[in-house]
Amino acid sequence: MGRATHFGFQQVDAADKQGLVKGVFDSVASNYDLMNDVLSFGAHRLWKRYTIGLSGVGMGDKVLDIAGGTGDLAIKFREKVGDTGRVILSDINGAMLEQGRKNLIDRGLVDIEFVQANAESLPFEDNTFDCVSIAFGLRNVTNKDAALAQMHRVLKKGGCLLILEFSKVDNAMLEKLYDFYSFSVMPKLGGLIANDEDSYQYLAESIRKHPDQETLKQMAMDAGFAFCEYHNLSGGIVALHKAIKA
Amino acid sequence: MLRLVLEKTLNSLIANDSIKLGSLEGNTIALHVLELDLSLYFVCINARIYALEAQQQSPDVDIRVSKSVFLSLFQGKSFKHLLDDEAVEIVGNVKTAQALSDLFSEASIDIEELIAQHTGDIIAHQLGRALRFTKKRSNSATFGVFETLKDDLSALLVAPSRSRFFDSGAK
Repeated sequence: MGRATHFGFQQVDAADKQGLVKGVFDSVASNYDLMNDVLSFGAHRLWKRYTIGLSGVGMGDKVLDIAGGTGDLAIKFREKVGDTGRVILSDINGAMLEQGRKNLIDRGLVDIEFVQANAESLPFEDNTFDCVSIAFGLRNVTNKDAALAQMHRVLKKGGCLLILEFSKVDNAMLEKLYDFYSFSVMPKLGGLIANDEDSYQYLAESIRKHPDQETLKQMAMDAGFAFCEYHNLSGGIVALHKAIKA
Repeated sequence: MLRLVLEKTLNSLIANDSIKLGSLEGNTIALHVLELDLSLYFVCINARIYALEAQQQSPDVDIRVSKSVFLSLFQGKSFKHLLDDEAVEIVGNVKTAQALSDLFSEASIDIEELIAQHTGDIIAHQLGRALRFTKKRSNSATFGVFETLKDDLSALLVAPSRSRFFDSGAK
């Protein structure tokens, strides 16, 4: 085995992780939005709205939404940047990108660009974007440090990176409930609704393997960001990191 | 929430050329409001201003004020008079501190009730007022006040820890 990394609770060769994650998202793409609503009781919409609220994105801005999946953040960003701005939705997974394209076309949004890209090697010029976002995507990236460095590279000076991701619960009682829900309920719901228990088992495991709030903040600083702060949402079930390039 | 409103309102006004960062550009300024246990860390960069919660590196200017002086910064009170009265403690460049004060004054945000001892309706009301003011100052017909307000209220809903500041004021 070459360099090892985690895929949920499994140790796998780093070279294999991307393909394994692809398998998960190929499998869940068609039910992704429905399952997000069911599993989070709709809270993912509030978390994303909070992200948009903190983005500071305005008219004319250029925004890159990485791992943008089915496009719900991109839709909101499009409203913020107006006709003079530009929103690019990128995802490494073709099935998710296709689902996003359908969603946006259904809403009459035809001016959001789609790019299939790996977050570890973004195909954009340096200093291009006012805002880069990645929602519930970073934990699936094999080399997170490389991805953060790329996000820093493509941001303009003064631009901000927003990382919305599952994180470390900050309350012991909530943590017990959350663990029970994640490992005993969520995979079962995945099996019942999407006929895919394994993918939702991976979801629960990958959340536990993701760096906690302080670790991710330090990773962002190490990637070159001058400032980084995080906001715990819903007791730390999710955290929003906001990092600024100087 | 206070930070969010300040940041959004100031950036909206900057974007619409109603106010300018001017000499603040490139500076980081820490502002501490003593009785409120409130520290704001302003980062002014590339015609944007960020209001962060935690100090992350040594600021260019460190300002300490009382609650009443903090309020007066938004009410256009002469910064020179505040300095003469020794109501402001500054470590760093006084002119940069003055520029931040001028920015607050020009923004004319009604900050008073925003730092009142309540959450809920008062915050919603003040957000509405702050954003309506921004809308009035803005020439952009597409500025989504209602959408912005919804975003901000959602922030309050999902981040109850953000109300710590207001809770502590109620004690």
